[in-house]
Amino acid sequence: MSNTKNNHMEDSYHITGYAEHFGTWVSLILLTFMTVFISVFGADLNTLTVATALFIASVKALVVAYYFMHLKYDPKIYRIMILIVMSMFVIFLIMLIFDYLTR
Amino acid sequence: MEHSFSLPNSGHNYDAKASKLGMWLFLYTELLLFGGLFMVYMVYRALNPDAFLIASFNLNVWLGTINTVVLLTSSMTVAMSITAIQKGNSKLSLILLALTVAAAVIFLVIKYFEWGAKIEHGFWPGMDHFTNLPFGEQLYFYLYFFMTGLHGLHVVVGMVFILIVMKKIKNGSQNKNKNQLLENSGLYWHLVDLIWIYLFPLFYLIH
Repeated sequence: MSNTKNNHMEDSYHITGYAEHFGTWVSLILLTFMTVFISVFGADLNTLTVATALFIASVKALVVAYYFMHLKYDPKIYRIMILIVMSMFVIFLIMLIFDYLTR
Repeated sequence: MEHSFSLPNSGHNYDAKASKLGMWLFLYTELLLFGGLFMVYMVYRALNPDAFLIASFNLNVWLGTINTVVLLTSSMTVAMSITAIQKGNSKLSLILLALTVAAAVIFLVIKYFEWGAKIEHGFWPGMDHFTNLPFGEQLYFYLYFFMTGLHGLHVVVGMVFILIVMKKIKNGSQNKNKNQLLENSGLYWHLVDLIWIYLFPLFYLIH
């Protein structure tokens, strides 16, 4: 019982401050300019730029999910569920890659 | 928290937690929907790397960057509007939501000009210029129009949701104690942002 009460407290009473949202926005903007800069001015890296762009995009996605979408302060169940969805996606992806590699 | 008794299915029960969980479940299906499209993109790009590169030069990186900044900013304003309503400041919440809608409109207007320019130059599937393109470049534009189009549709839906929530804040049915509809609309809006975060490098930043 005490556990559910705790979750409830976390769920309803955590209010993210304006300053934290602004900080999140600043980091997202910096990451955006970083990825544009790498792509436009560091053009010779080829596949490496794709990997870097996707890596930066994933960092941005995590920041959005954790701070803007409030996952950081939500009960664990949301993080577990998103992990399941992402694993499903990765499994599909791996199967697809094997399919195309073995043709 | 205030507690009041209400009969199930009486239309007066409010379960913020269930509502939020339901929204997340829906967002997971959205992730898999776009995930599937990204997989299609991945395969076609792996098969036609040069064509995708050449085709991507037709997009304007700076317009894409501006749209990214616009969407990220709108994500911040919608997150802040939730903070505002939780602190009991409905007026500030409304202003922040209005800014979010304004950002959505800016995004769509920029998108309109981008698509307009592409269509003017004949890149829309079926147009003369399009049919003369190499097959790989055709695939790029099929995917570009479909994926950014589907994303644009999500922007419109998110905007409508936010407008509905604004109306509900105005008449007081979304307030300090009851604001899950706002939170859910916020989650949806963040998802729109999240998808764009991947669309942007994959279509605009191929180099």
